[in-house]
Order: sequence, then C-alpha cells, then structure tokens
Amino acid sequence: MKTITITSVPGYDEWRTASRECLAQSIPPENIIWQSAESIQDDLFGDSEQLMPAPRGQVKHSIPKTVLMLIQYALCHRDVSRFALCYRVLWRVVFENKNLIKLKTDDDIMQLITLAKAVKRDAYKMSAFLRFREVVHDEQEHFIAWYEPEHFSLEVKLDFFQTRFKNMRWSILTPYRAAHWDTEKLVLEDNPDPSVFPDDDRIEKYWLTYYANIFNPARIKKSAMLSSMPKKYWKNMPETSLIDDMIKQSDARARKMIVDGNKR
Amino acid sequence: MHDKLIQKLEILSDAAKYDASCASGSAGKRKAGKTDKTGIGSLTGGTGICHSFTPDGRCVSLLKILMTNYCIYDCHYCINRVSSSVRRARFSVKETVDLTLNFYKRNYIEGLFLSSGIVGSPDLTMESMVRIAKSLRLDHGFKGYIHLKTIPNASPELQAEAGLFADRLSINVEMPTQPSLNKYAPEKDLGAIHSSMNTLKDKIAEHKVDKTHTGKRPPRFAPGGQSTQMIIGADGSNDKVILGTSVKLYSEQKLRRVYYSAFSPIPDASEVLPLKPAPLIREHRLYQADWLLRFYGFKLDEILHDDMLDMDHDPKLAWALRNRHLFPIDLNKADKMMLLRIPGLGARTVQKILTIRRYAKLSWMDLTKMRLPLQKLKPFISVSDYSPDIHLLDSNNFELQFKQPKQFELFSA
Repeated sequence: MKTITITSVPGYDEWRTASRECLAQSIPPENIIWQSAESIQDDLFGDSEQLMPAPRGQVKHSIPKTVLMLIQYALCHRDVSRFALCYRVLWRVVFENKNLIKLKTDDDIMQLITLAKAVKRDAYKMSAFLRFREVVHDEQEHFIAWYEPEHFSLEVKLDFFQTRFKNMRWSILTPYRAAHWDTEKLVLEDNPDPSVFPDDDRIEKYWLTYYANIFNPARIKKSAMLSSMPKKYWKNMPETSLIDDMIKQSDARARKMIVDGNKR
Repeated sequence: MHDKLIQKLEILSDAAKYDASCASGSAGKRKAGKTDKTGIGSLTGGTGICHSFTPDGRCVSLLKILMTNYCIYDCHYCINRVSSSVRRARFSVKETVDLTLNFYKRNYIEGLFLSSGIVGSPDLTMESMVRIAKSLRLDHGFKGYIHLKTIPNASPELQAEAGLFADRLSINVEMPTQPSLNKYAPEKDLGAIHSSMNTLKDKIAEHKVDKTHTGKRPPRFAPGGQSTQMIIGADGSNDKVILGTSVKLYSEQKLRRVYYSAFSPIPDASEVLPLKPAPLIREHRLYQADWLLRFYGFKLDEILHDDMLDMDHDPKLAWALRNRHLFPIDLNKADKMMLLRIPGLGARTVQKILTIRRYAKLSWMDLTKMRLPLQKLKPFISVSDYSPDIHLLDSNNFELQFKQPKQFELFSA
C-alpha cells in the first residue's frame, strides 16, 4: 500500500507528477491511498516513503486531451476523493479502454464529469458574480474584489481576468489565495488578509439604482432567479441586499401600473 | 450633480426594462492586443456572462438603457410615446460612455445595450447613438459587447456606421402585421423596417466573405447579427401569424433571434390597449415553438394544428400526441432527426445518446443515470431492455397524464 500526500491546493501539479510515477511503476489504483494536506489521517498500513522517480526512457502513455481537460477541472474540486478518482480514470484509460471517456454512463466517468461540471459552474459564477471596488493609491486606480468560491476556482479563471482587465491594476482575494495583477505580471499570495477589501465604492450606488429599476415588478419569478443565482452567492454581491424589498413592493408597484393605466 | 445622474439612470433604465432582447451572445471572441496599453474588455465567445439576476428571473448581462425617453412618436404600447405623461430624461454621450466603462471595470456587465426615443429626427438620434459606440471603441479601446437598437427611418449611412462599432443591431418590428402597426404604431412602416433589415443583412454578409480580391478582410460589421422583438397579446394577431412572421424574418432577413414579449400593462397606458396582461405561458410556448423551428427540424405546419399553440402541452409533446403512430422510437436505432422529435429529449441529450450508442447499447439503466425525465419519455421510447406497453399510447385518456396544473396568473380575476 502506497500513501501519497498532496500538500498544495488545488494540487494538480503534484498529482500529475505522482500519477506519472505510479503509472510508470504500474501501481494499480487500489494500492494507493491519496490524501490531501487538509485531511491527513494516519494510515496504519500506509507506506509514506517518497516515490522513486521513474527511470528515463520508460514507455510514455498517451492520454486523450479531453480526459486531461476533465481531470484538470475535477482536480480543482474540494472533494478529497478527487485524487484517487482521477488516478483510477487514468489507469483505466491506459489499461482498460482508451475510449472510456465516451461511456457517459460509466460510474467513474460520471463522477469525473460531475466534479468537473461543478468546478466549471463555480468558476463561471465567479467570473459573473465577482465585484470589484476601486481604491485610489498615488492617483492610480486599483480594483479589489473579495470572493469566496466553493471550489479552487481562482486558478481556472485567472486567464479570463487577465485578458478582460489586462490594463487595469487589480487584486482578487479568496479565502485560500489572492491574485494580484499590475498590468504586466501576476503575483499569487496564499491566505490573504480580507480586510484589504474596501468597504465602499464610488460607483456602487449607480449599480444599485440600475438593478432596482431594470426589473419588471409585474413578472416576479423568484424561483427562476434563485436557480441561476442561489443564495450562497449573495454575500459577495452588493445588489442582493435590495431583493427582499423589491419583491415585497412588486405587487403594489404592478397594481399601481394598472391603476394608473385606468385613470384615463 | 451626482443625484441628478441617479435620477436619469432611474428613468432611463426603468424605460428600457420592457425590451426583452438583452442577451449578449454570438459575436465571436475579442480581446485587447498585446501591445494595447489602454484598451479594456473581452468577448469570450458563446453566450455572454449573466452578471446578476433580478427577481423577475431575468439575466442582467448588459447595461440596458435608453439614451433618452423623449420621443416624437406616438406608439400606443410604448411608455415613452409623446402623449404619455412619464418623467423624461436624457443622457449625454459622455455620461453614457463613463457609466458603461465604470460598470464594466467593476465586473457588473458585459457591455452596453443602447436604445432610444426619437429626439429631433431619426438621423439626429441615430447620430448620437453612433457617437457613443464610436467613443467607446476608438477613445477607450472598449472590447466588450455593444448592442444598438437602430432607429427606423435613420439614413442608411448612419446604420452602416453603427454596424462598424456595434456587435449586434436590432430594429423592433413590435407587431407582426402592417394593419396592427397602423393601429398601434402609426409612424412605423413594416416595409421600411424590412428594407433597413435587408440593408444590414447585406452588410453583415459582405463581411462574412473571407477575403476580397485585394486579400483584405472587409471591416468587421455587427458580427452578432440582427435581432428584433414582437409584442404578444396587445393586438389580436394569433400564434400562426406571429410565428409565420418569425419564419420569414429568419429566412429572408436572416435575423439571429426574434424575441417575444408578452404585453404587460404600462403606467399611463393608451386607451387602445387591453387592460389585462397577456398570459406569460403564451410567450413561453412561442419561445418553445421558435426553438423547434430553428434547432429541431420542425416545420411551421407541423407545430401548429390550429391558429393558436396548445397552452396545456409544450409544442413538441402536442405534436407527438397528434402523431402517436410514429412511436415508440428505438433510442438505439433511430436517426438524429427522429431522436430530436421525442418529447423530453433536448438537443444535448440527443448528442449524448448518439455518442454512447457508438460504443455500447443503451439500456434503461443508462437512461436513469442520465437523469432523463423518464415519466414523460416512457411511452414514446424503447431501449435494449425496455419497450412501453402498447396500449399506453392508444388509451383514450393518454394525454391527460401530461396536463399540468393550472398556472397562477397575476391579476387573473
């Protein structure tokens, strides 16, 4: 029994190195215990010695790109079983069926897709719901956001933010890591101080005004709103503080439209 | 001064909320270049990001505002018509540009959706709108999404210029027929609207041609195409007329999308309008039918049995109920076009089925794992280890099981 501990988050690079070695040494998935730094438990039978690097010139296994893409997403999930699952999929693709990924109803593939999907959704929501606030240092604008993703989604979206806000100075703070961009290079910082996030922003009141006025009180569809924007995201979005009042007043506002319409 | 801007924003976003066509998709990818030191924004390809949702369930993707709600026209369904007593306001070019950039930098929006009442003349109005788009693109290197609602009757030159800076252009037809327009929007002319659309269609097509003989690409022109909106239930047009108009707009004017907006009462309404809102379910059914026409290979006369769509069943189910002799369909054998016609199977699921089928036979277990709506599917399909009770499809009260409980309608009394 081999025990492998992944010490970083999300842990993709470590997992890839370890998996390569294990594959090279043909260690089957059931003989490996994967654990992450946050969930270390002593395993009585585990053998936690370092893996020997594989001798050079070993057979290279070719893994389809679609599989690697899915694995890359799945490894950003918080589920600690992700390392074992991804190695098992890798093993089965190499030794069992290179088209495994096409079997959308295979249990491992379904689980892999479930994890990858959850991460993609979480990352998408981050690119959608994250809000910057502006501070001015030495006459230079700097935009700061505090966001709490469900998974390790920051790394998935770094490209997106760097591309979209290329010429802006910004910092994105999450509970586990921050990314700082100065228009040229990206600096990562573990466990950032959330108090750096400003309390206010000079434009936010306009955004709240816009949000309150763009919705149609005659067509309340709260469940549709909640399925796309569940409450767990609300804490990072300033406009959500208006929602309760908007719903409470909607009936009266819609009735007023009709009453006004009848005064003619 | 700030308070004044808030007031303007209140008025001009409130006035824009009746327009449903606010998606920000299908204009391809775009970003600031490596050497670009000031530009901002990107298009990620595919549909744009929904940055928030309002309690009416709608996605907030763009800053959707009117440049002004002053208007010289008197369209009865419109809250901004000249005879309405609504509060009026007007944004300057700079105010609109600054607001867009400030919202964009805070990650509130994907871009701008600008519409306007007619001030002075159609050309004067259109010119200001083009100036806003031009300033965003040229002065600020803005790479986000811009949708301009072009003004009917504005000159072809201005419309052509708009297309150079906008990702999408649209003109609302509002009503499906000229008689309805005459009654509700006396200044609007369907012929003029169609000819504007045709001009833009040709411009858009010109750009799609890969390269001219000089080896250069013609300038980018409204890569997201054109869209339009029709108001449902304000006039007496039935679904056949409405969908017939859509089919024409898709095939002749090559529109990317037609939006349907159930008439909803507006403050200070004109007296030719109905008092009651149109049922939202009708709008929903029209969207479903529109989808079947565009992505599922259905023809108009297959979807419509009468002049109106079936409100109790979605149009695909209604078609299946009328064509029971074609079912059950074997998921392991049927071709793609047939799979698309099975009630309960969406285009994505069909694609999944086709992929799996190449490597393994589909069984009932696979269907449960894919989390398909089995209750709905059951009578219409067969797989390797399941086929439906043949009496099921023939029974008299078969369609009753699909009836949905009556929807609660606001102000139905």
